[in-house]
Amino acid sequence: MTIKTELKDSLIVAKKEFKILSRKKALIFPLFLFPIIMIVFFGYGMGGTVKDAPILIINDDAGRASSSLVQEIGGYTPKYDANPMFSVTYTKDMSQSEAESKIDAGIYKGALIIPQNYSDSIAKNESTTLTLLTDSSDTTTSGAIINALRQLLAKTGLVSLNIPSIYGDLEYLDFITPGVIALTVFMGCISSIGSAIAGEKENGTLVRMLMTPVSKRSVILGKTIYQLILQLARTVVLIFAAYLLVGFNMNGSWLAVALVLIVFTLSGVGIGIIMSSRAEDMESFIQLNMLVTMPSMFVTGVFFPLSSVPGWMRCIAYFLPLTYAIDAMRTIMIKGQGLSAISTDFIILTLFAIVTFTLGVHLFRREA
Amino acid sequence: MEPIIEVKNLVKVFHSRRRKITAVNDVSFDVFKGEIFGMIGPNGAGKSTTFSMLTTLIKPTSGSIKVAGFDVENHDYKIRPLIGIVPQKLSLYPLLTARENLELMGNLYHVPKKVMEEKIDYYLKLVGLEASADRYTGGFSGGMKQRLSVIAAVLHDPQILFWDEPSTGLDPQTRNVIWKLARKFNEEGRTLVFTTHYMEEADNLCDRVAVMDSGKMVALDNPERLKETTGSTNLEEVFVHFTGEEVRD
Repeated sequence: MTIKTELKDSLIVAKKEFKILSRKKALIFPLFLFPIIMIVFFGYGMGGTVKDAPILIINDDAGRASSSLVQEIGGYTPKYDANPMFSVTYTKDMSQSEAESKIDAGIYKGALIIPQNYSDSIAKNESTTLTLLTDSSDTTTSGAIINALRQLLAKTGLVSLNIPSIYGDLEYLDFITPGVIALTVFMGCISSIGSAIAGEKENGTLVRMLMTPVSKRSVILGKTIYQLILQLARTVVLIFAAYLLVGFNMNGSWLAVALVLIVFTLSGVGIGIIMSSRAEDMESFIQLNMLVTMPSMFVTGVFFPLSSVPGWMRCIAYFLPLTYAIDAMRTIMIKGQGLSAISTDFIILTLFAIVTFTLGVHLFRREA
Repeated sequence: MEPIIEVKNLVKVFHSRRRKITAVNDVSFDVFKGEIFGMIGPNGAGKSTTFSMLTTLIKPTSGSIKVAGFDVENHDYKIRPLIGIVPQKLSLYPLLTARENLELMGNLYHVPKKVMEEKIDYYLKLVGLEASADRYTGGFSGGMKQRLSVIAAVLHDPQILFWDEPSTGLDPQTRNVIWKLARKFNEEGRTLVFTTHYMEEADNLCDRVAVMDSGKMVALDNPERLKETTGSTNLEEVFVHFTGEEVRD
């Protein structure tokens, strides 16, 4: 069979999927509404605590006051937690723009710049200003950093903080929007490809389709094309809805978002096929689906930063493609960075896509 | 007579929960071109497994099957366009109309659009579904679904038709329609292979009947000769003669 016929066959399958979707009125509505509800409800309803947030202290001052401040920051623990809140890296002679680029790259959540004359000013009882850069794309962590430093500095009464906003004024809603998009695509792909296959297995149409000369590759490709179009459409609707409802600003390139989502959708489809190949019917699939998607909702950093979850949870997160997709989406959509800033995420997502998709095609048996 | 299906020493073994189940055990037979070939046997006799292997859906454990000269092992993609299958489990998309279900099948078999539309109209009329052509099949009765499934399997003009229990659970009127279709398609020169639990159906339609039991083919002949050799008055008695009265699992 030639590639051309296989592609043509896959388009027949994709067209069929859309036709059926257009008739599932009760499905279309929640499909597009679900992510919007998530943003609104979670956006207003949740927060999180922060620990071990990586921050950079650029200390250009050699005096006593600055070294005691640095020590205080290093030992700072939040009110309800005995663990230190920051994991501090110390340096000096670094420009503000260089520090900003480190935050762009996601290495640090914040950077405090202590000027040369800091200790002198304190000793002379003069007021002085420190500059604090934070990764405001992660509103939970950056808010916590700002609060903690304000608390520490309030003791002297002399020091004020200058906090330039690197990515504009951001709120928690801005933080979760890219995450919710990625989560929606992830859950959407797995559940709809999986339930489509499990459902078609149950009603016999899948076997019927595989009795025709169509190859199983075409069937899977057709279902994937359908998912790609559907998930990209959902994303566009969601970004506009977030803009209209909560004033979300899309800072990055739509093309980069699309690229990340295409690769990410492939891994979602692959995982969905793998799961459905293990499930005999719809009900088992739904339960299996819950087992995978529910935890990923909480460990991958959709609603609170990855830095705020316990270490063992973080370990799980690193095995889920959603973690990398969320990171990439935030870097693009909030920080306005291009592909070079998300290259690691992108490579990992591509690997995930290749592995899960290949395994999915392999496990998808003709006699299924 | 020229064989169109050649089955030699066919074996299919399933492994399920550490149990080894030999569903088909060393079966050999030919189906001749242009005949109506029926397969009967108690539940679990191996009919459906044989059927799935003949229709390229599952691969034999050992032995060989040639359909229209092509080996199922390596040339399944050449066999599929030549055969038309009506599966036991009705498999229509409930949210597509009758016409759309047929069009999907036609497209998957690469039937040219114009030819396909003509055929769809012709067959819908033939089975009396033209008035329901644009209704979703989800609301169809069992009989309507079965008539639709039968015509969905002939749109690509196959040489061989495979029907798996085509009349199970249907009313006598629909069964009658199905039999008429069987004869019509056969008169057009198509070979028909089907499985059934209705002895009367096998007796009425088949040129030859194969009796299967416990994975073996225990008899194969035309219905009249089977009755003669076993001294039976009908096929029901033939069936009991070969397979016994014990109820199967």
